[in-house]
Amino acid sequence: MTAKQPEDRERKKRDSSFSLFFQSKNLYKVIGLLVIFVFFLLPVLRLVWLSFVDDGSLTMQYYTEVLNEPATWKTVKNTLIVVFGSTILALVLGILFSWLVAYVELSGKKAMQLFIFLPFVIPSYITTLAWTQFFSASGPVTAMLSWLPGDLKAPNLYSIGGIILLLGISHYPLVYLFTVNVFRKIPRELEEAAATSGLSKKRTFWKIVMPLALPGIASGGLIAFLSNLDNFGIPAFLGTPANIRVLSTYIYEQVVGFGPSAFSRAAVLSVILGVIALAGTILQWFLLRRSRVNETNRSDSTPRIYLSAGKKKLLEASLWVFLLVTSLMPLITMGALSLISAYGVPFKLENLSLRNYEYVFLTDSKPLTALSNSLQLAFFTMIICLIVGTAVAYLRFKYPDWSTKTVELFMTIPYALPGTVFALCMIFMWLEPIPGWNPGIYGTVWILFIAYVTRFLVLQVRGSYTAFLQIDPSMEEAARTSGASGWIKWRQILLPLLFPGIFSGALLVFLMALTELTVSSLLWSSGSETVGVVIFGYEQAGYSTYSTAFSTVLVLGILFGGGMFLLLSRLWDRKVLKKND
Amino acid sequence: MKKIFYGSAALCLTTFLAACGNDEAETNSSTKTEGVSGTIDFYTSQPDADAQGLVDAFKKQNPEVEISIFRSGTEEVVSKIQAENQGGDIQADVLLVADSVTFENFKAEELLLSYESPEAESIDDAFVDPDGTYAGTKIMATGMIVNTNKVTEMPDSWMALTDSSTKGQAVMPSPLYSGAAAYNLGVMTRQESLGWEFYESLKANDITITQGNGAVLESVATGEQNYGMIVDFLAARAINDGSPVELIYPKEGVPVITEPVGILANTENEEASKAFVDFILSEEGQQLASEQGYTPIREGVEAPEGLKTLDEMTILDAEAVELLETRNDDKARFGKIFGE
Repeated sequence: MTAKQPEDRERKKRDSSFSLFFQSKNLYKVIGLLVIFVFFLLPVLRLVWLSFVDDGSLTMQYYTEVLNEPATWKTVKNTLIVVFGSTILALVLGILFSWLVAYVELSGKKAMQLFIFLPFVIPSYITTLAWTQFFSASGPVTAMLSWLPGDLKAPNLYSIGGIILLLGISHYPLVYLFTVNVFRKIPRELEEAAATSGLSKKRTFWKIVMPLALPGIASGGLIAFLSNLDNFGIPAFLGTPANIRVLSTYIYEQVVGFGPSAFSRAAVLSVILGVIALAGTILQWFLLRRSRVNETNRSDSTPRIYLSAGKKKLLEASLWVFLLVTSLMPLITMGALSLISAYGVPFKLENLSLRNYEYVFLTDSKPLTALSNSLQLAFFTMIICLIVGTAVAYLRFKYPDWSTKTVELFMTIPYALPGTVFALCMIFMWLEPIPGWNPGIYGTVWILFIAYVTRFLVLQVRGSYTAFLQIDPSMEEAARTSGASGWIKWRQILLPLLFPGIFSGALLVFLMALTELTVSSLLWSSGSETVGVVIFGYEQAGYSTYSTAFSTVLVLGILFGGGMFLLLSRLWDRKVLKKND
Repeated sequence: MKKIFYGSAALCLTTFLAACGNDEAETNSSTKTEGVSGTIDFYTSQPDADAQGLVDAFKKQNPEVEISIFRSGTEEVVSKIQAENQGGDIQADVLLVADSVTFENFKAEELLLSYESPEAESIDDAFVDPDGTYAGTKIMATGMIVNTNKVTEMPDSWMALTDSSTKGQAVMPSPLYSGAAAYNLGVMTRQESLGWEFYESLKANDITITQGNGAVLESVATGEQNYGMIVDFLAARAINDGSPVELIYPKEGVPVITEPVGILANTENEEASKAFVDFILSEEGQQLASEQGYTPIREGVEAPEGLKTLDEMTILDAEAVELLETRNDDKARFGKIFGE
């Protein structure tokens, strides 16, 4: 942002001397915008169109109808409370953990990082089930409270507070992921300088560290905010018994309603949800205005804060308690369910077996096919998003004008809509992109691929953009003046600096695409089953024991992959870069 | 689990026999399925393994037909078809989802083909659309599930759920999310013996509303709740697997959904679609349904162990057309009672 003015002058100078170049540049801009419009906004507009049409004539009746119902406003109010509450919780937890991992000397950080990711990869139906059992009348929390004096009751999760808690816990890893690299890149000299000039630790944090970390915090916060907004599983499970509706569940209720007005009403509510999402995005820009970049650093993983042995132990213990409850507890609940022969039988040795695993991996052929489909889909989605998303982020960083901002808004919407609605938009768009012409995309694996890229691209854009924001524009200039040409400049100087941020985005896209459920459940077709579709199918048929067996293997696989990655990167650091970790 | 193995073993056996006695089967079956070919898109909400079993059995007889399955929840299948309709071209050829009201809805929008299958003659008229746009394929009653560890005296009436001694111990699926639950709501509120008062008493008795039948089973089997309203085959299967639950058919009667099947009007393969519908309703198709653990709808085919056959239960009934008309009002009224 700070680089804007000199950039502008520079561009004007160049543009006036190369008017032809300028024209083609504008042409590229228009073409790019058009492509993005077709992929990202047109499907959504086809849905919005439905909110204005009744029997072929334009009407505002759906708006007047929906906006005049008290239920709508109650739902909007619930949504705002839930989304803001859970986003703040995710921000607090995410910033706290990333700050601790980045700065404080603790042992077992690598393992901690893996555990931080767990809530994010465990399917939300498992998370809700595990937590409700944990807090149930026969669960451990009630048992512990009964030892304490007084008449303490376990908190009721079937409430607004419960929804906020679980959404916050499920989405704080997003904030963590975006923020931790940013913290690592803040030059320690700044803090040292602040300390020598007499600033207290607190003031240093608020005056120096926070403004520098804002790009990551704003990006992570925005993604967490959008994820809280479109999440269906948690509010549906916890909100139904308490009659709490949020927009995502209310939209689903409309979609499954009958009659011609069902989709139109859902479209009106989706417009309201879209407005909230855009407001969040714009708020985030506003926050970023206060961020500063004043020099570029490589990320620096060595601790900056050393605690006394006692304090360190205490801190480590409390962190692990938190991680065990929020990450391991749902995983263990899931594992336990997957080993029993039927719901409700006591967890004793004679009731335990690997039969569910046997069925899922040997008897039924679908899960393994689905796993291979999902891995391929996730991998290719990641690659495409990596290239396109990073390119968009670069343009957004280089030319922060209206066009790139618009592009960012376009890309936010597909991620913010509830999965069901987004899938419907994909059908409207790709069944017959031009009326009367069916290109055969719909009903094959391609529609899933297009849907995933459209939905998750914003994650990569945010990841890469955060990385760019951490680079002082003078770096590129310096590279250019010292004669590094395009590719060399990128490979030698920029990419190593950008890598952690870009990698975070790619990892996120990969995991999201791998475990995606709601969009797939409407768009899959014979032969393109995904992991989410198989899990959803088992759940709906009442075979929870199978779905937990499959999910357990999936989560353990992700953990194993993460562990391998950490191990390899460590070896790489030691052998190749000769660094001591 | 055992049941599934036996079921699949039996399935293999029957398909094997069918394959051996192929000539016999062809002369016996009243349907003319020779020479049907091409592809059909089959959209269904049946569990995946069941849909696959059905398609495999059909393909044994009609090897020339390719069937691609789309399986999802009833609500997802319905919205997919509606979206395809908006998008300009419905892809589905044959549709099989939970309840008749859903079909009435598609019928009202003129999306269904009228086909009077000869096989439908052996099915009670109550479950077949007189205009031939859909016919039931199974009987799925909604009964009561009770946790046997917590409850010693088994109830025999729906009123057990409204009795003050069970306050806060019951659970039911939400009609706002599930079409089948909305159907049950429409039927039960139209009965003399139950009516809206029944639902008002349920609310007064602090019943928990949950997302779907699966969640009801989980919560009663684990003992989080003691009583629940649930579709019978899920409960029967849980009992077979060893869950500590009991399935009750209350004496006032039970609402049934019939998982009807119908053909979409703009099908590109009418012949194969008709052959497939015939097969589902035929003796063999119904036998298969019974092996998969469902009460068959065709007269003369036995129900699987643990479930009642059609003539053993009292059925609560209502006009599907009327239910469609009032569906949205019923849901709204339910929402009001349970305090949106």
